[in-house]
Amino acid sequence: MNGTRPIVHVIDDDTSFLAAISRLLRASGFEVKTFSSATEFLAKRKVDDAGCVVADLQMAGMNGLELQSALAQAVNPLPMLFLTGHGDVPSSVRAMRGGAEDFLEKRAPKEQLVDAVRRCLARAASERQSRTEAHHLRARFDALSERELEVLSHVVQGRLNKQIADDLRIHERTVKLHRTSITTKLGVSSVAELTRVTLQAGVFPPFK
Amino acid sequence: MVASCCLTLAVINLLVWVRNRREWANLLFSITALSMTVFTFFELWMLRAGTPAAFTIAIRWAHVPLLVWIASLAWFVRIYLDAGRLWLVWSVCILRTLSLVPNFLTGTNLNYQQITSVHRVPFLGELISIPVGIPNPWMIVGQVSTLLLIVFIADASVTVWRRGDRRKALLGGSIEFFLVLGLGQAMLLFWLNVQLPIIYSIPALGMLAVMAYGLSDDVLRASQLVDQLQLSEAELRESTNRMTLAAEATNLGIWIRYLRRDEIWANETCRGLFGFSVAEHLDIDGILRRIHSEDREAVREGWARAIDRDGDYESEFRVVPADGQMRWLASRGRVEYEGGVAVLSRGVLFDITDRKQAEHETDRLQIEIAHVGRVSMMGQLASALAHEINQPLGAILRNAEAAEIFLQDPSPDLIEVRAILADIRKDDQRAGQVIDRMRGMLKRNKLDTQPVEVTELVSDVVAMVRADALARQSRLEIDVPNSLPRVCGDRVQLQQVLLNLILNGLDSLQGTSRDDRLVRLSARLDETQTVEITVSDSGQGIPTEKLQRVFDPFFTTKTKGMGMGLPISRNIIEAHSGRLWAEDNRGGGAIFRFTLPVAERSVAV
Repeated sequence: MNGTRPIVHVIDDDTSFLAAISRLLRASGFEVKTFSSATEFLAKRKVDDAGCVVADLQMAGMNGLELQSALAQAVNPLPMLFLTGHGDVPSSVRAMRGGAEDFLEKRAPKEQLVDAVRRCLARAASERQSRTEAHHLRARFDALSERELEVLSHVVQGRLNKQIADDLRIHERTVKLHRTSITTKLGVSSVAELTRVTLQAGVFPPFK
Repeated sequence: MVASCCLTLAVINLLVWVRNRREWANLLFSITALSMTVFTFFELWMLRAGTPAAFTIAIRWAHVPLLVWIASLAWFVRIYLDAGRLWLVWSVCILRTLSLVPNFLTGTNLNYQQITSVHRVPFLGELISIPVGIPNPWMIVGQVSTLLLIVFIADASVTVWRRGDRRKALLGGSIEFFLVLGLGQAMLLFWLNVQLPIIYSIPALGMLAVMAYGLSDDVLRASQLVDQLQLSEAELRESTNRMTLAAEATNLGIWIRYLRRDEIWANETCRGLFGFSVAEHLDIDGILRRIHSEDREAVREGWARAIDRDGDYESEFRVVPADGQMRWLASRGRVEYEGGVAVLSRGVLFDITDRKQAEHETDRLQIEIAHVGRVSMMGQLASALAHEINQPLGAILRNAEAAEIFLQDPSPDLIEVRAILADIRKDDQRAGQVIDRMRGMLKRNKLDTQPVEVTELVSDVVAMVRADALARQSRLEIDVPNSLPRVCGDRVQLQQVLLNLILNGLDSLQGTSRDDRLVRLSARLDETQTVEITVSDSGQGIPTEKLQRVFDPFFTTKTKGMGMGLPISRNIIEAHSGRLWAEDNRGGGAIFRFTLPVAERSVAV
């Protein structure tokens, strides 16, 4: 995680509420950064920042939902928690469909708010974890040669060495050498594990 | 015969005088005629007298009625012609009176020192006596007096002639003629002993006839005048009747205020309106006491101003008569001046209670409708306003929760807690303001006209509508210079108009792309010293043919609209002596403008 601490990014154009909620979240033990508009947040955020976003739904300029869709395009999207002064069903439905962690009224009970932030951060952490793993896996696959990738694609389809040698018009022993190299590079010990990481890394398009 | 004529004339004129004591001419004429009657008897005595002794006594005593006759004649001419020199009259009277002294003390009488003989001559078939004797030089006194009388009458007649009254001048001339005739005869008889009979009564009778003619002519004229007067009196009565009828039919009170003696005349209707009885004495204080205490000062000032300045007076006030029922009255009048001094004012008074009640009812309805309009607008804004209140309430809650956590610490950060409390107070005020604004709009207010700061007006309205604009993802642009003068009006109603126009603008933005959703609010001072406030939008706009119709009640283009917002707004602005109209925005969208009079100027007027 490169020492990056999870941060709660609070965005609200009402400075008074912004100050109040950040006080509460800080007092509740969170690291908090405040932004008075969505555009300010987008401009100031770091590419690899960790944590979540707590945003007002109705803001002048870019509103909460627009921020949500802008964030979804990013390499490192942060999970979002929406706050609203006054419940608004259509907006909440859109927010939740867009993958929001939760949708709370500004005067929701403290516990509900803190729990939601906590869940949001946990989700951020797990999403970050899986993103990191996928990243590392990708790096391992990047080490494979083109021939090795070719062989691998046949292996995960469950073909035997002999069949692969015939298909690729190479010697069966050469196929074995490639398989050894692949398992070594990817750090796996069985065909089953090899199949799993290959699928996880999404190296190949879905098989027919 | 002469005597009876004279006596008749004397009696007639005496009667005339008795009936009209101011007709001194008639009295004097009567005296003239009476003295002539007496003189005639002396004359008869003289004509019949056989001896110088009898003649002497007759002449001597005849001078007494002669004196009265001349004096009364002189005064008659003076009074009747209203001309001639007064000192001449007095001279005539004094000289004639003085002539009585030698008449009784020297010789035998004024005319003769001694009558030597009496001639008996036939005259008109009868023997009459004519004296012969030595003339008395003192006689000159009496004759000078007669001469002065002639001079006096001549002078008076000329004056009257010049004055243009030919009739009276001729009358004077005629008297003069007979007088000269008489004097001439006397001179011939007494100084030159020409044998003439003493019959002064003949020319005197002529004189009397002339005088009688003059007086009777006057009587004739007077009677003609009386006829005319009666005629015009009838006309006057007719016109008074007509006016009274009109005044009664319209229930019009008529009054005249005499400024010099603080007295007021008023017709029955006028008295009735104030609750005064027909006989009651009216003065200004009594009237003012019946006027409602709140209006009294204004009425007093109105009167004073009319007298000092323009002379025209107009006011409306409430009256509380003793019987209790309050009435609204209107009074209009004009002051009349004499040589620059106000002497009286005259005018009319009428009951306007019904009109006032109707006006009151209209005002009440206007307020009611405006209120309904506001309530409906607040309904539209309810959700946005709830959001507006939840914002500070949310902040308060979060701050309080944070403070609780801070205070759980064994050594809490009191500086932070203090900052939190300050913020809580601030947010509470903010929420309170939202509620106050909302309540102001929901209250059923009486019209409260005061100078209003345009910037405050706009910022209050923007505060109410901001959340709504946000929810509709629309922008509000405000361009109101701080330098604008204050306008005159009811704050709540003006807010209502602005709010209505802005909400209409926001409504018109539906269906426009997000970036174009803009409502612009600007204000400026125009050349005519009015503030013009403009609300424009980037919406669909209004077709030219509908620019007028949008102000018709129940005309609406919205699915949820009532069509009352704009008519109410126009009503409010017109009640503020302003104008509200719509224009098509050439850049797309609609423009609404309204004007309001500047407060400072309206205070100065």
